[in-house]
Amino acid sequence: MFSYEFMQRAFWAGGLIGMIGPLLGVYLMLRRQVLMADTLSHVSLAGVALGTVLQLNPALSGFAVAVAGGIIIEQLRRSYRTYSELPVAIIMTSGLALAVVLMSLKQNLSKSFSSYLFGSIVAVSDTQLKLIALVAAAGLLYFIVLRRPLYSLTFDEETASISGVHTGLLSFSFAVLTGMTVAAAMPVVGVLLVSALIVLPASIALRIASGFTAAILIAVLTGLLGVFSGLTASYYINTPPGGTIALILLIFLLTAIGVQKLLRLKHRCSKYRRPLKQLEIHAKP
Amino acid sequence: MILSSMQDVVFGYGEDPVIDRLSLDIEAGQFIGITGPNGAAKTTLLKLMLGLLRPWSGTVTINQELAVEGRLEIGYVPQQVAAFNAGFPSKVIELVRSGCYGRLGLFRRFTQEQEALVERCLRQVDMWEYRDRRIGELSGGQKQRICIARALAQQPQVLVLDEPATGMDLESRTGFYGLMRHYVSAHGRTVIMVTHGLEETSPYLDCIISLERKEREGWTCLVTNSCSAHFGPGA
Repeated sequence: MFSYEFMQRAFWAGGLIGMIGPLLGVYLMLRRQVLMADTLSHVSLAGVALGTVLQLNPALSGFAVAVAGGIIIEQLRRSYRTYSELPVAIIMTSGLALAVVLMSLKQNLSKSFSSYLFGSIVAVSDTQLKLIALVAAAGLLYFIVLRRPLYSLTFDEETASISGVHTGLLSFSFAVLTGMTVAAAMPVVGVLLVSALIVLPASIALRIASGFTAAILIAVLTGLLGVFSGLTASYYINTPPGGTIALILLIFLLTAIGVQKLLRLKHRCSKYRRPLKQLEIHAKP
Repeated sequence: MILSSMQDVVFGYGEDPVIDRLSLDIEAGQFIGITGPNGAAKTTLLKLMLGLLRPWSGTVTINQELAVEGRLEIGYVPQQVAAFNAGFPSKVIELVRSGCYGRLGLFRRFTQEQEALVERCLRQVDMWEYRDRRIGELSGGQKQRICIARALAQQPQVLVLDEPATGMDLESRTGFYGLMRHYVSAHGRTVIMVTHGLEETSPYLDCIISLERKEREGWTCLVTNSCSAHFGPGA
């Protein structure tokens, strides 16, 4: 498998996105912005279409438009504080509408778009891999350097702001990083499944982690495991990599929920189980 | 020493002001209670006097001798436990340690004194035994107490508490008011607390600001009593 150069690139790209996506996902879920990744992937698709129509590099134009989308969502979030889901809906529909209209302007676009929609190993070019590496490095640096203010911001924005955290700047930079990560993740898992890679590992982590640091580590490890096993499975059984990765992550999530429920039940039974006879005696008045 | 001085402050959220030409001086090193009926703009007054909201007109002056880089160091405990992110995947001790982040900056490591401070703050609110619990597993009153421990760990000049005793039982409330009284008397810090239970809190307070709503010329006006009304041990 690794004798093919495109598979090496796919594993590198997948590993980098599998690390930064779930890390971002933990913060997005805790900030109640879980649909932002999905929205920005649609916006990014419009950017890809725009790049193709204007004969620019589609990867770079998708990247730039996704970042711009993140900034606009953050700005709208401030205007619609009471209806925080509204900006996401506005931008998602606008992005998709723009993509559909732009696609109709150019003939024979549907084939190249399918790689963006569903993800493709061969879609990861050298330029895209460099872009992914750059985004992953920037994201990792961002989350390490700003881990303390980000923790305060994620816990409660108002308290953080009053305590002196620059919440406005931090939220804007977070939106930019989200746009960058989503645009970079598109070639690996595709537009339709990009949020799966961001949301599913974080869902598992938030369910089983005992603390914040543990949640981050579990999310990243689950993401990496999901991407590597998904890419391997898709190579051998010849299935689309994006869908395979998402399905494997879903299996991880269902397994985690099942195991957690079983462990709780076992713990409850071993701690509180009493002989039936004794219960009957206690039940008598 | 004056902490914050408001002169003829007017502020509102829509077209009409909720605070109309209010003048008030807040002394540093006092335990101050703000009381009034629902919708009397208690929280708004709190934010105005600390420079967190900009008035439509009038001035709010923060004593620059007490300010660090132009702003006061404020520890804040929000109004409702509902505001608390209950699903936050954090241990109690992680949350309280985060109170020290402001002083540590981005990279400085926790010192032994800071670890001891975190332990002391948790013990002061009787939550040390719960340090390794997930915050989502706690009751409403316990969540409130760890929020207070976190604010104490910040060691702020001004501790701002918005109805902090919500969800606490009588014993916890009494202990908490005593703790705040000690915090002010022993460390010379300022505590400003929005409260409805004036009967319970007045023995501990240095000063009470009560807000009343009056309809005057179609506008809603606020009236405060004198901030020099002293109660409790210092009276």
